[in-house]
Amino acid sequence: MSLLTVNAVTSGYGDMEILHGVSIEVGAAKIVTVIGPNGAGKSTLMKTIFGLLTPTAGQIIFAEEEITGLSPDLVVRRGMAYVPQVENIFPSLTVNENLEMGAFILTDDFSGQLEEIYELFPILNDRRKQRVGKMSGGERQMVAMGRALMLDPKLLMLDEPSAALAPNLAATIFERIVAINASGVAILIVEQNAKESLKVSDRGYVLASGRNRFEDTGEDLLANQDVGQLYLGG
Amino acid sequence: MDILSRIPQLLVYGVISGSILSLGGIGVSLIYSIIGFSNFAYGDMMALGAYIALGLFSLFVSWSIPNTPLGPLSFGFGFILAAIFAIGLTAVAVVLIDRILFNRLRNHSSVILMMSSIGVALALRNILQFFWGPQPHYYIERIQIASVIPGLGIRIKPDQVFIILVTIVLVVLVHAFLKYTKMGKAMRATADNNALARVTGINTNRVIVWTWVIGGALAATAGILAGIENKFITPELGWQMLLSIFAAVVLGGIGNPYGAIVGGMVIGITEEVSTAFIPTGYKPAVAFIIMILMLIVKPTGLLGKRR
Repeated sequence: MSLLTVNAVTSGYGDMEILHGVSIEVGAAKIVTVIGPNGAGKSTLMKTIFGLLTPTAGQIIFAEEEITGLSPDLVVRRGMAYVPQVENIFPSLTVNENLEMGAFILTDDFSGQLEEIYELFPILNDRRKQRVGKMSGGERQMVAMGRALMLDPKLLMLDEPSAALAPNLAATIFERIVAINASGVAILIVEQNAKESLKVSDRGYVLASGRNRFEDTGEDLLANQDVGQLYLGG
Repeated sequence: MDILSRIPQLLVYGVISGSILSLGGIGVSLIYSIIGFSNFAYGDMMALGAYIALGLFSLFVSWSIPNTPLGPLSFGFGFILAAIFAIGLTAVAVVLIDRILFNRLRNHSSVILMMSSIGVALALRNILQFFWGPQPHYYIERIQIASVIPGLGIRIKPDQVFIILVTIVLVVLVHAFLKYTKMGKAMRATADNNALARVTGINTNRVIVWTWVIGGALAATAGILAGIENKFITPELGWQMLLSIFAAVVLGGIGNPYGAIVGGMVIGITEEVSTAFIPTGYKPAVAFIIMILMLIVKPTGLLGKRR
């Protein structure tokens, strides 16, 4: 049963079409990675799914309901969360305030969820009162993911979660991603350097110039020589 | 020696005018950082509040609501009641202006919003002039004797102490609102990163309405306090202060409400102290010189944008 189905979606900025009919599927509680070179349209795909860009053709179906063209605040309420690649935190707010903002649409008590996120990222627990703008790249990424998890989404979308992180930090982030997934959250990742990401993925897609190129299980994509040479740096 | 002996007294005047500039500066700064444009109508929103208070006060006098002066102050219950209602009504009026005009231009560039705010400024000022005329209207007719603080030789009127106290209370309230309430935090989040606020599910439209409510209430308070300090109001009241308020906001760091308080105090005090050395007529130039120097030396302002 597929949780998210993107069907032949065409999208872009204004008159500039970036995606020329891209299709992907994310199964419930699966990890899916979309890889591809710079400019392949990976971020555009994320923004289109989340309603920040309106597709000019195709459909997006989430949890058996069409969400094509829905605005982000409505998409959030359906159970999808999105962590942009850059500017994904509120820098002048503290760690705790960033997470509270993640629960903005809730009217009931969310302290249980808050504690779960501090358990998932223990390093943040000691820094609840610290302003996020002053924290390191890895910590910011954890805050950004924590913020997105506050609503206990069915699908978490991560745009380049390990970009600009030192290798050991990137490994920590992927370890956390697997832990989040183990609690039943489906995860859609887009990555430029995607070996780490494909290793943990159930399924992978290769996007190039706004079109689907390859599609396979994560393992098989890693083993695929063409994909390796062209998109994974040999 | 004579000049130096005047300085303590001028410092006190500086703190009083700095209080009014700070309140205006907080409003301008919040609107700039959350809604995203320099609101040139802010001075006239201050005047609007001052005139609504005047209108309500005359109404209350005709209803014979008592206005015997409270303690040493030169005004009483009737005036304070009129001021409180005027603050609320100004907030409503400012939200209406947003719904009618600014909200429709939200997807345009900040320059368009700024230009339209100049239109709002002119419209408001002329509406006030249409109903009340260009001549000054007196808030307070009686003369208040200043008390002398023993030892320092500083003179201050009870009304001026009232202005400073009201400012302190409002600054603390705004700070508590921004720091501890859900809406206050959402306002700071929206100021930080509007796109992420929407992705997070924050209702940014409600954030904008709240920003206007607070901005409008602070404008009205600043306008009324300026009326108390000057004893009279004219339709030009806010416009004349707007440039000092902008200087205060730039000095403190545009978009940072805490910077606006620092900036307001520095501009207020420098303007007053300058009169010991240069003719009073040059007072408005002082704010500009400080603003230009700040823009050259450190364009992000004293406190910068909070990051």
